[in-house]
Amino acid sequence: MAVTDIQISICGSAGDGTIAAGDILKTTMARIGYRVIAFDLYPAEIRGFGKCISRTRITSDQVYSMKQQSDVLVSLDDGHTIPHVGEVRDYGAVIYDSFPITMLPEGGHISGHIKPGQIPYGLPIREISERATSSSRSRNIVALGFVAGAYGLPADAFRETIAAKFKTKAASVTEANIAAFDAGYEIGADTFRLDFVSFSEPPETKVEGADVVMMSGNAAVARGCLDAGIDTYFGYPITPATTIMERLASEMPKQGARLLQTEDEISAIAATIGAGYAGARAATATSGPGLALMAEMLGLGVMAEVPAVVIVSQRGGPSTGMPTKTEQSDLHLAVFGGAGDAQRIVLAPTNVEGCYRCAGKAFEMAERYQTPVVVLMDLYLSNRLETVNLPRVSPFAAGLSKDVEADTPAGTYQRFAITDDLVSPRALPGQADRMHTVTGLEHNESGRPSDQAAVHIEMSRKRHEKLKAALDHPDITICKRFGDEGPVDVGLLCWGSTFGESLEAMMKAQDEGIRCSAMKVVMLSPLPLDRILAFFEDCREVLVPELNYEGQFANLVTAATGRPVHRLNQVTGMPMRVEDILERIRALAAPPSRSAAE
Amino acid sequence: MSSRMHHVIIGNGVAGDQAAATLRERDSDSRITIVTAGTLLFTNRYKLPQVFAGKTDWREYLVHPPSYYEERDITVRRRSVVIRVDPDRRVLVLQHHEEVGYDRLLVAAGGAAYLPEALRESAHLLDSFATFRSAMIARERLPDGGTLIMLGGDMIGLDMARTVLASGYRVVLVPNERTFWPHQVAAEELPDYLGALERSGIEVVRKGPVERLEEGAAGRPDRRLVFADGSDLEGDVVMAFCGLVPSLGFMHGAGVDIERGLLVNPELRTTNERIWAAGDVCQIWSEEEKGYRFYYGWKNVKMMGEVAARNMTGDHVQVDTFKDEKLVIDAEGRIDSPYWRYD
Repeated sequence: MAVTDIQISICGSAGDGTIAAGDILKTTMARIGYRVIAFDLYPAEIRGFGKCISRTRITSDQVYSMKQQSDVLVSLDDGHTIPHVGEVRDYGAVIYDSFPITMLPEGGHISGHIKPGQIPYGLPIREISERATSSSRSRNIVALGFVAGAYGLPADAFRETIAAKFKTKAASVTEANIAAFDAGYEIGADTFRLDFVSFSEPPETKVEGADVVMMSGNAAVARGCLDAGIDTYFGYPITPATTIMERLASEMPKQGARLLQTEDEISAIAATIGAGYAGARAATATSGPGLALMAEMLGLGVMAEVPAVVIVSQRGGPSTGMPTKTEQSDLHLAVFGGAGDAQRIVLAPTNVEGCYRCAGKAFEMAERYQTPVVVLMDLYLSNRLETVNLPRVSPFAAGLSKDVEADTPAGTYQRFAITDDLVSPRALPGQADRMHTVTGLEHNESGRPSDQAAVHIEMSRKRHEKLKAALDHPDITICKRFGDEGPVDVGLLCWGSTFGESLEAMMKAQDEGIRCSAMKVVMLSPLPLDRILAFFEDCREVLVPELNYEGQFANLVTAATGRPVHRLNQVTGMPMRVEDILERIRALAAPPSRSAAE
Repeated sequence: MSSRMHHVIIGNGVAGDQAAATLRERDSDSRITIVTAGTLLFTNRYKLPQVFAGKTDWREYLVHPPSYYEERDITVRRRSVVIRVDPDRRVLVLQHHEEVGYDRLLVAAGGAAYLPEALRESAHLLDSFATFRSAMIARERLPDGGTLIMLGGDMIGLDMARTVLASGYRVVLVPNERTFWPHQVAAEELPDYLGALERSGIEVVRKGPVERLEEGAAGRPDRRLVFADGSDLEGDVVMAFCGLVPSLGFMHGAGVDIERGLLVNPELRTTNERIWAAGDVCQIWSEEEKGYRFYYGWKNVKMMGEVAARNMTGDHVQVDTFKDEKLVIDAEGRIDSPYWRYD
């Protein structure tokens, strides 16, 4: 069967409807049955400034990252799109407005920048929109219609998506957009195509017990929270985590759960820990700057052994940094941030389906091990859309709290009792005969403050060692190796969203005859040390690609293992390029001269 | 923009392509921009008839791979229609509202197919052979073993007819005064030449003037040609091959002398010292004939591209046109034109 692997980019200015057109495209393609992975870039400003790019990779088989070069580029604003023309492959298509409304200086029109190997498709997008809808506002939909028509995609599926997207607006809005789509479609269908881009039939996508749906990382996290039975959510908006709260705000009330937007992040984490203490499955979501504010309360959660889920979507930093750019530079903060030895569980999903699993499992772990659990994503993962297999029945367990034995005599209950598994029976406040003290001060087994050395030593051990059981927590992949088995020339040790690009780079390296493996590490704290060490044993060279300047995961791994690694660090605000990783793999695999690992 | 000398070439045919190559050879620093209304890079039109033989990947018609242009730093602005040249400001105005400045301009826009008056109303029923796209459309409209009617039959058309015949189709020629264009065949010699065509398999229909072209009746071939005498001829595809007219509408008002083509001296310079012309678009002064005249054919056009480029870069060479314009019937009975041959 022919394989479809087409990436379509739409580029425009904020307000051009770039992201909206991309949304319709990716939603429709997922509904038709293709696998979709997509990532949008947009400016920090709301409208009228800055560049928006919607990139959608449409495939018949599962893929793990965006392609470096698009097959089709649609320009809704030449000024913004011209720098991206080079991202279109040879014999790919560049679609643009052939009749802009203003007089342009030399070089102002995209046609002057199209590379010799690319195929130009100019059409009077604005004019078509005005003819079809009496307005130029639907240029994005005209262009989308052209793409659908030119590549023979089913118009009805697009019309349905458009109708669904605008169902809350006046009927005239839907009608205008469908008219614009149809006008573009007709021209696209009549276009004599010279590019070498074609779609094969979509694959069979039925999965037993699951629905194949397209969702973003943030939507997946929200769905994971809901399926795990979230009771309360407290949050303060921050890019790129805000849409988690937005989705939960509309969904939680439907299942009797509650959400409160607090005045800031400190309140959000305090309320989350308070709710967790009261027995609720509680969560908050934020980004790096918010996590910095939450660090103190996170320490209280560790000390008081309170379940709480903290979802963090990293962006460019430090400080306010680059709110709409991606980065993986909050790993140190997530793993170590706060006062004292405040170890907590940190999960870093590597794809959208992983976001769903990690969010749901975070509630299980928080409850089971009585600790805050951080789910560490990044903007790329938050905003990336993928088709995922979403189980129809929640795979997450409820009621994992270790309850106090019913026959425990009144007045003998110890909230922080040292047990075999170091997890203490947990009573909720207000439970009869289970009075106890909870404090941020160091405390003894009954919870009363104590700064005796023996107490601090034992309680520190308890708080750290109890988390090791999480390494064997059921039904979650905390660490997995891909690629060649046994000894390899190059091993990629990866975390978070960079894993997708790393996996594609690994596969390309294998195609070139390089023995190569990639390991994704989902649980960053506690670290699955045995499996990482076993991976080191098999790898002649280990490369750690990550989107931060310091090499934070490399630091973590080398400190924990004492083994040298090669680092590949980028802070471009963009996902890492497969080609960059591949280049390093090639260099490391070459036997005669290779740079020494640190 | 850059302060480098900017050579702009309007047209992406044989003359324009040769000019760009020569300009780059002679001036490694200048900007070179080819402006063309077409979508493809320079294609070998002489090979285009092979579309009918099933060669349908357009990349096989490219004379140069895309890397050729990148390696030579030659910009090709495709789908860019020039609507005006302003010699005072030295800019081209493109249909998409962009102005492109030039220091030296070569007009090598070629020619468009000439259509006799009687056929203009039914132009939409004619298929074209001007581009890869139009050739592909015609091929798709032509059923296996179908009939192609050729009106006129200039040398471009006769080239195509040979391949179409060899590909299993039927070719019917309706001759007129433009048959064998650009060659002029004396009336008394015409039967010999048409006879040669018939011997090669082309059916020649001599029914006098064509009155109109119309769509075929249901269940019949797509096209019906009606002659002045009331008789008709049915075919699946009808094409007119009646020679070329220069494409130079955009040069009106540019302050250069135009007769039927752009008038140029033997160095191919127009009456504007920064504008040259080459190929089917220009009429060159012939001292010998004391008048301006067109020169056609691959060899002439290629030579013109080179001469113009040399003179744009400071040389003063004159055109040396290929003089052997005679149409001949070779030993095997085939019509041959040394003038029209290409490498």
